[in-house]
Parts: sequence; structure tokens; C-alpha cells
Amino acid sequence: MSNLSIEPGSTTAYHTGEWRQQRPVYRDKWPPCGQSCPASEDIQAYLALASNKEWEAAWRKITERNPLPGVTGRVCHHPCETSCNRTQLDTSINIHGVERFLGDLAHEKGWRHERFTEVSQPQKVAVVGAGPAGLSCAFQLARRGYPVTIFDAMSAPGGTLRSAIPDYRLPKSVLSGEIDAILALGIELRLDTRIGQELSEQSLQDDFDAVFLAIGALKPRSFSSIDKSDHSVMSGTDFLQKINRGKSLSLPKQVAVIGGGNTAIDVARCARRLGAQVTVVCSQDRPGSHHGHADAQMPALPQEAMHAEAEGVRILFRTGVRRLVRNGQHLSGVEISRVDQVHDRQGRFNPVLFEGTETFLSAGLVIFAIGQEVNKSGLENLMKDGELGVIIGGDAAGKPRFAATAIGSGYQSAMSIIAYLTGIPPVYENHQKTDVTYKDLHTQYYPLLPRQDELMTEDRLSDFTEIVKGFSQGETLCEASRCLSCGVCFDCDNCWHFCPDAAVIKKPNGYEIDYNYCKGCGICALECPSGHIDMQREVG
Amino acid sequence: MDTRDQFRTNVLTSGHRACAGCGEAMAARMVTDLIGPDAIYINATGCLQVFTTHNQQSAWQAPWMHSVFANSAAVASGVEAALRARGRSTPVVVQAGDGGTFDIGLQCLSGMIERGHDVLFVCYDNEAYMNTGVQRSSSTPHAVRTTTSPPGRLSEGKHHLKKDVISIIAAHHMPYAATATVAYFPDLKAKVEKAMSLKGPRFLQVLSPCPLGWDHDAALTVQISRLAVETGLFPLIEMEYGDVTGVMRLARQRPIEDYLHLQGRFKHLFGHQNDNGNVEIRHLQALADARIQRYGLLDAETEWTTASAAQTERHGRGGYSISAVKQEVSS
Repeated sequence: MSNLSIEPGSTTAYHTGEWRQQRPVYRDKWPPCGQSCPASEDIQAYLALASNKEWEAAWRKITERNPLPGVTGRVCHHPCETSCNRTQLDTSINIHGVERFLGDLAHEKGWRHERFTEVSQPQKVAVVGAGPAGLSCAFQLARRGYPVTIFDAMSAPGGTLRSAIPDYRLPKSVLSGEIDAILALGIELRLDTRIGQELSEQSLQDDFDAVFLAIGALKPRSFSSIDKSDHSVMSGTDFLQKINRGKSLSLPKQVAVIGGGNTAIDVARCARRLGAQVTVVCSQDRPGSHHGHADAQMPALPQEAMHAEAEGVRILFRTGVRRLVRNGQHLSGVEISRVDQVHDRQGRFNPVLFEGTETFLSAGLVIFAIGQEVNKSGLENLMKDGELGVIIGGDAAGKPRFAATAIGSGYQSAMSIIAYLTGIPPVYENHQKTDVTYKDLHTQYYPLLPRQDELMTEDRLSDFTEIVKGFSQGETLCEASRCLSCGVCFDCDNCWHFCPDAAVIKKPNGYEIDYNYCKGCGICALECPSGHIDMQREVG
Repeated sequence: MDTRDQFRTNVLTSGHRACAGCGEAMAARMVTDLIGPDAIYINATGCLQVFTTHNQQSAWQAPWMHSVFANSAAVASGVEAALRARGRSTPVVVQAGDGGTFDIGLQCLSGMIERGHDVLFVCYDNEAYMNTGVQRSSSTPHAVRTTTSPPGRLSEGKHHLKKDVISIIAAHHMPYAATATVAYFPDLKAKVEKAMSLKGPRFLQVLSPCPLGWDHDAALTVQISRLAVETGLFPLIEMEYGDVTGVMRLARQRPIEDYLHLQGRFKHLFGHQNDNGNVEIRHLQALADARIQRYGLLDAETEWTTASAAQTERHGRGGYSISAVKQEVSS
């Protein structure tokens, strides 16, 4: 305490910071939305940019990790919204609405992706499969200067996004627009090329330094016990592919869809749009009825199942198929029973049916949508374990099989490929940050404002036009500014206003604590709305 | 001169000797920064004078003078008259604690207002004589423990009620008298700016929690001042020429216990089978209810309890607030 002056002057000569027992520290946290995003988008960052009307910067922030925001804004199962801290204050942020708006705006304004480097790397990379995982991986590699060639067996890029998602959920124009923007980075696309047929595995390995296999899971699973050698029986993927190629199908009056996943729901809603009466036979229970037993619930997204029911699709829960009922060659329906347990002791999907509960479900067409498997034919050598320079991603790598998971897998795989090619391990900067939970926030600073949901079109069943309308600019702005900015400073000035010791200094970019004078009272940390300030004990 | 901060003068700068988490230092820094360095500050004896001027060091970066406990308003009257005689219009601001306002300085203050001097009188109300060791003042609320109103077998803290000084001041039929507190900075800012835009005697009572005298955690200063408002115990009001012209409404009333249990000065009221304590808690609740009724704090709709705090929240984005967004959406 030597600087207790007896000279006249300013008190600033005396450093009250010596009294301090704990010190405030500004520290960015990792909000739950970003943590739960399978594509690891920095959601808080782009919502902050959007709330400041920096639309292009917001779009560029999303596309750091996800080059398909218009697609995921429509079809993603948005775990970010489930984990949003705002759920505990009033209602979660409508994140997918903002994402979709930004994706559509980028298309409308014609914003182009930028490469990080103009230098072209010597190593070439092959991507097999032009679905979300393959596109995402190719996008990341191309931005970093790697020459990429995408191979796809189909005649148009997009993979499952094109072949399995109906137009009323994802218009083809949106998908094509975003794919074109990715390909504009200089990615070569070779369609109608199946590895093992048009091109051999060996030539792929010879011509490229690394291979990314994102071949999806397209082989429909089937019930071995049921005879399907009939045109009145088809698989869900085939049905959706036919519809997405624009083929006109004429359906019988009654259609039964077997399965409880998203494919089953998509099939049912498409068949409904073609004028059929649709019944979905699902072994599991209604979503939300089994807390803690996710496997005993219908695997489809609750929102999608709800839309289907609103459109007049009948869903029979806890019901299984015993056999197909035929009248000669003609299919008259299926025999269904109540399901006892869905999974066996080993946890495998193996529904057990109750005897004596059989009923007849009349149907002129039965569509099986009971899951898909990876079709490895033609790629056996590449898909061996421990094959150097080959990385498997997307749906082919396992569950969960969501678009966002595939996009995230594409990013991770691109980083792994670069690490393999350069020998430098990848860095994930967010993973070092701490969590921020609801109780870390000072919620009295946030006014209560309910979430807005997008409007739906009035007449849904007459055709395949998109049923969910997008946000306007004003709605997007309002929704983005509802973000609590968990763990990240948004320049509210609270710490600056409330410091009794004028020890918080405001700078053009943020704030700085003058530890010469901070007495460590902790007001700034307590009054920080977003939990950005931590109190640390002083050592010594 | 302290020029660390390019966005603020820091009229009351760092290095002052207030306790950690001092509500009065916070309030004085807010008020003086809003008025700025081009004013003459008269400071009555009290904590603020003691902790800002120590060993010949001053924390003030503006003309500042110390008066005795009783006569700060009289000194300010003289300064204002002298400035007027010389044709100058420098603002004159008095800063005093509740002792120098409610008790010892009341008659000089009354005289100053009666003579109509163009002075802003700011009272930092921390509800006791803190710099001399937490003695009761006429501002100390009912049932509070101080060193001169100790709770015990025959007493539950201060027996008498808090003096309603704002009504006494407003009864002088003067231009502007208002209450404010540190938790609501936008509200405080609006009131200081309004006061500075008017001529004649003006009065501001700023509730400033005291971690030492109120016996609460230093980090809770702002939270406690917010709770004083949300429970209804300290209504934020504006009075012009004796009439109430503005109140900050509440979306909902918080129970008085939320406010009391955070502070050691009310600790004796709580505990098992403390019947007398329970009576006093109900009494304090009734006092809060009566104030809410008197000023109609729950009579009308409000966007949100701390709607003005919402402006603080978005303040840093160039005054960007949720209501501004709403307007854009509707237009």
C-alpha cells in the first residue's frame, strides 16, 4: 500500500485493484444451438449478424459450414431449436426460418461463394456421391484450393435431397440453385457414372490422391417373409424417386404405407396428394408418448407426422403387418395386428405381434418404407477397413441419417482429407469453449416475445407446390433479434454502465477491464445478460 | 486527467475508496457522467465526499466543492446566485446522502427550493448514515437493523417509517422532482436529462444500495435495487409542481420476501417461530402494496416489467431496441 499519496492529485494514483479477491474475465462460450447442430453452424453468430441486417455476412457465416442453407432451412430436423436456451424463457428461436430466408436471399441476390485461396493444390480428390455429404465435402475442399471431381450414378446432382424429398417440402429450384453455387467454385461433376460399372475402383484410386465415399443408404430393406413379387407392392424409395422424376403415377383408391420413419411419412403425404386414401402402419407409439424410450416411438419427426395427419393421412400406431392378402393375383389388402414389443432382447428391431388382434386393412397398393441399407456393390475394395486415403461419410457412415448430419460429416471428412494430404491435424476451436446453460443468463434483461412460425398455404392437397411459406425480412429480423446471444457479448454496455469503479473501459470493439482499479465486486458478471463474464479467484 | 475511456468522461474516476459494489459510487458515476464535467458540483458531507477525496487525492474530474452536512443547498444557492450575477449559466448540482437531505440538510434544501434557485439537488439514498457506521436516518425503512436500531427482545429493528421526502419536496410546488435507481439506467438517464433541460430547483432521489450497511453480497447491488422497484417498495415516479406526472409501471409485483431475504439488515425478521418478524414482513408487504395502489403501478398494461432494461440490453447497438424492430415489422 505504498502508493497512499500525500501529494495533491487524482485518486487514479491509488490502485484499488489491490483489494481484489476475484477478477471478472470476458470469455466467449459455446451456445447450445451451435453445439447441437450436426453441421456445426455458428448459429448465434449468424443470428447476431441477421439482427443487425447484415444479410450477406450472415449468409457467409452459415456457409462456412453449410453450403445448403436454403435446403436445411426447409428439411432439417433442427435440434438447435430443441436445445435453444430461450425455450425455458418463452419459446425457442425459429432458427430454420432465418436460415431459409438467408438461403433464399442469397439465391435471389446471386451471392457467390468465395475461395479462401487462389492457389491450386497439387493433390486431387474424388468425391463419390453428389448428395449433401459429398457436396459439403467438395465445397470445403474446393474453397481451400483442392481440385475436386464428384461422381454420381444419377443423372442430376443432389442425392437423396433430390430423389427422396418431395417438392412440397423442398422445391427442386432451391436445391438446384444452391448446388449450382457450389459447383461454381470450379468443381467437376460427372453424372451417370457408377463406380464399378462406368468407372473402376482401381482407376479412381490411381487418378486421385484421396477418395470420399458418400454413397448414401439407398438399398431398401425388406421383410424376407413377405412375397413382394407383384406390381401392387413397391418400396418407398422407388415410389419417391418416381415422383421426384416427375412421373405421373395413378394410384388405387386405398394405399397402405408400412413403416414409421420420415420416408414413410413422405410417401404417405405424396400418395395423399395423388388422391389416395392413405393409412400408415407403424410399429411404434406416437412421438412424445414414451419419455426416455426414443426407440419405442415413431422415428419420423413429430412435426412431419402432425402435418401428415392434418392432411388426412391415417396413422395406425403400435400396429404391424402379418401378411399381404391376395385375391388370386390381385392384392386386396394387408392383415395387421397389434404390436407387443418393438425390439427384442438384443435391442434389434423385431416387433412381436399379439395373437387374436388381426384385422384386415383394405389396400390396392402397399408401399414398404422400413429403412434403407448401404449398397456396397462395386465398392467392396474401397470400403475395406484401413484403406488409406479413403473416407466414408454421410448416410453410408451410419445413423442418424439427416441432411444436416450428412453436411456436417462432409465438413469433417474434408478436414480429415486435408489432414491426410498435408499431415497437419485439424483444429476445432469451438470444442475448447465452455457450455452456457439457462441459469448462466440474466434473463430479466430479455423482454418476452413469442416465437413466430411460418405460414402454411391454404390448399395443400391439390398439387406438390411448397406448403410452408418463407419469412419476410421483417419477420426474420424480429426472430433473429430474439436470440439471447448465450455466452457471447452483444455490446449491451451493462458492465460499462454498472461498474462503480469506472474500471470497465469501452473500446470501439468491445470492452476491457482495467485491473488496476477493479475491486472484484462481481456486478458486471451478475448483470451480464448473456453470461459472457466469468469471475475467477485471484491466486495468491 | 483520466482519458482512458473515449466514450465517457468519467467525472467520478477510478481509484476512489468506496467499498466493492458500492451503489452510491455507481449512481454518482452515472449521474455526473450524464451531466458532464461542465458543471459545479457541491457535495455535502457523507460517504461520497469521504471516499472520493482521500489524502488530498480527488476522484472528481470536474469543479467540485465540499460543504458541511447541513448547508450544501445553501452553498449551492450562493454559487448559483454568484454565477447569475456574473451572467454565467454553468449548471450547479448538489450531491448529498440521505442524512444530508432527509435530516440535517432539509431546512437549507427547503429554503433553496422556496427561493427558486436554479440548482439540481441529487440525493443518493442509501437509507442510513453509512460513513459514520450505519446509524439510522429518517430515510431508513421500517424494521431495518442499524447500529442505533438493533433488533432484540423488545425490538424488530427501526420502529418508525421511512420519511416520504419526495412528497415533501414536491409540496414546494417546484418544477421537477423524481425518484430513480441504479438498476434502470435508461430511466435514470431520461430523468437526469429532463432535469437538466428545466430551469429552477429540481430534485432527484436515487436509491443506492449499500453492500456494507444493507449487509448484502457486493455483486447484488443492481439486483437489489431492481427488486426494490419490482416489489413496489420504491416506486419510480416523476412529480411536477406537486402532481405525479409519470410512473414506471410494473408488469407484476414480486413478493417482498424476494427483496428482504437477500439483505442482512432484514435477517432478524426470518426464522422459525419468529412471530414478531412475520408481522413486520407483512407490515412491509402492506407498505409496498399501499405504494403500488397510491401510484397505480399495476393499473395499466406494460410491455414488460423491465421494458426500460430491454433498452439497456440493446443500447450498445446504437440505441437499437426490440420496439424499433416491431415498428419496422409493422411498417
